[in-house]
Amino acid sequence: MILLPRGNPVKENINPGKVNLADALGKMRQGKFTGYMRFDFPEGTGVFIYQEGRLISGLYETEREHLIAYDAIDRTFHEALTGTGNLNIYRLSTELAYSIHTLLHGEMLHKGQDLQLIDIKSLLVRMREEKRSGCLRIYSKEHIALIFYRGGNPLGFFHDGSTDIETTADSSLSVAKEPGAKVDVLVTIGDSEKSLADLMQTADVAGLWSNAVAARRLQREEQEHAASKTLETREADRRQKTLALFQQLAQAHLGKIGTSLVEKEFDKMKLNGSQINDSVLDGFYRNLSKSARLVAGPSKIDKMLEEMKRGFNGLPK
Amino acid sequence: MEMFQVVLALFWLIAGIVSFYFSIGNARVWTSIAVGFFLILLGEIIPGALPFLPGLGNPYVLAMGHIIGTLSILIMSHGFQEYYVFTRTLEFEGSKLHVYLGVVSVIGASLLFLLINPTPDAEVLRVLRIVENTNWVFLSLINIDLIRKIYLNIKDTPISNGFACFMVVFACIFLWKGSQLYIDVFSLDTKQDLINYTISHYTNLTGNLLASISVGGTFLYLGKLLR
Repeated sequence: MILLPRGNPVKENINPGKVNLADALGKMRQGKFTGYMRFDFPEGTGVFIYQEGRLISGLYETEREHLIAYDAIDRTFHEALTGTGNLNIYRLSTELAYSIHTLLHGEMLHKGQDLQLIDIKSLLVRMREEKRSGCLRIYSKEHIALIFYRGGNPLGFFHDGSTDIETTADSSLSVAKEPGAKVDVLVTIGDSEKSLADLMQTADVAGLWSNAVAARRLQREEQEHAASKTLETREADRRQKTLALFQQLAQAHLGKIGTSLVEKEFDKMKLNGSQINDSVLDGFYRNLSKSARLVAGPSKIDKMLEEMKRGFNGLPK
Repeated sequence: MEMFQVVLALFWLIAGIVSFYFSIGNARVWTSIAVGFFLILLGEIIPGALPFLPGLGNPYVLAMGHIIGTLSILIMSHGFQEYYVFTRTLEFEGSKLHVYLGVVSVIGASLLFLLINPTPDAEVLRVLRIVENTNWVFLSLINIDLIRKIYLNIKDTPISNGFACFMVVFACIFLWKGSQLYIDVFSLDTKQDLINYTISHYTNLTGNLLASISVGGTFLYLGKLLR
């Protein structure tokens, strides 16, 4: 779970499975967008960060995996096409977008420390003394706030709804006061702002998207094939059970020849894998009744057919 | 003796009515068999057993009696063959109407054949009777074997005991027709003082009586089984 505060919402709660993400990323670029796209999936979370139209960061994280750049984009595309995700787009300031990037790619110094147990003052003093650049992420169940540091000095605050780094600590501190609030300490190594590449320039995003679409189509076909196989198997099983039941009843009412008559009339139905149901069986009952009249009377045949109908309805669907 | 013939006629009448009624109310496979038994009444009893009927002396009536008697065993044998094929292949075809029309057509054609030929004399009638009885004798034996096979194929069905009864029927018919054939082949009716004739004669009467009773009884029993 990637914890990021919500910036200024541009689009929220979109199903990414219904969006051509290659086109969407292209539009972000053309529109010189600054901010981030957040994809939440059952398996994990993907984040694409834009700075003035440049895709400066891609991240995909699950409990076991931490993918970045092209791998993150590729995986996000694949997950998006399952249709189970949720896409939110937030606008940020240029500086904040970069800070978010450094935050996501920084080193986790402390994770999930309970604010009531940690000595926050000494932690801040240590940040200053060690001239650390990075971020304190304070979060509760409801809210998140970030405090950015550069060279040991606090740079500003960022919380839900902000588009830029703010200088007032009110919101951030209010999060810290919420019950169960925790803090992560992330530090960045060096200042690589100038060397940030545009992933869309170096990656074939359209190609990655096409591959993901093709893979998804193949996966869906395989799933459909497997589902139809399962259905086929279930129908075959049901046909077998029906035949066995009918043969057993025919044996009881008509003797050995009854079993053969049932088998013959069953073959004549030419089910060929199709579903067996009452309307299909009507013809079977009619034909069986006709041929059974050669060895038994109507009352016995009617009784047998009645038992067959009851037995068939009692079979699991 | 006339009284005995009347009793016989009565039994065959009952058997004929029962078998014809049976042919109407049951599956197509029974049509040939039941119609065949019904024809015994027409072919054998009406002209032969009732001396009071008008036209008894008419050679055409007597000749037709023998021809219908022959058709009778052929048709019922065909019916048993159809049933046997059904028990082996479970396939069956045709309709009752076709059977009725076929039987009527063959009888009509036989009558036409008689009419366009010289009037049958005693010798012709004797030959026709021998032909008829020969068919009955050998086809009765064949039918007993065929019915045995049918019985084995369907022995656990509701109808199986009915086929066992048919074996008894054909055993009686064998005695009835066999003794008559024996008398005809050896012309024992001209040597009535011989014990062979006496035995054959009484075997013939007994077989005839038992056949009529067993045919009626069998169809009544089948009717009960096929309710």
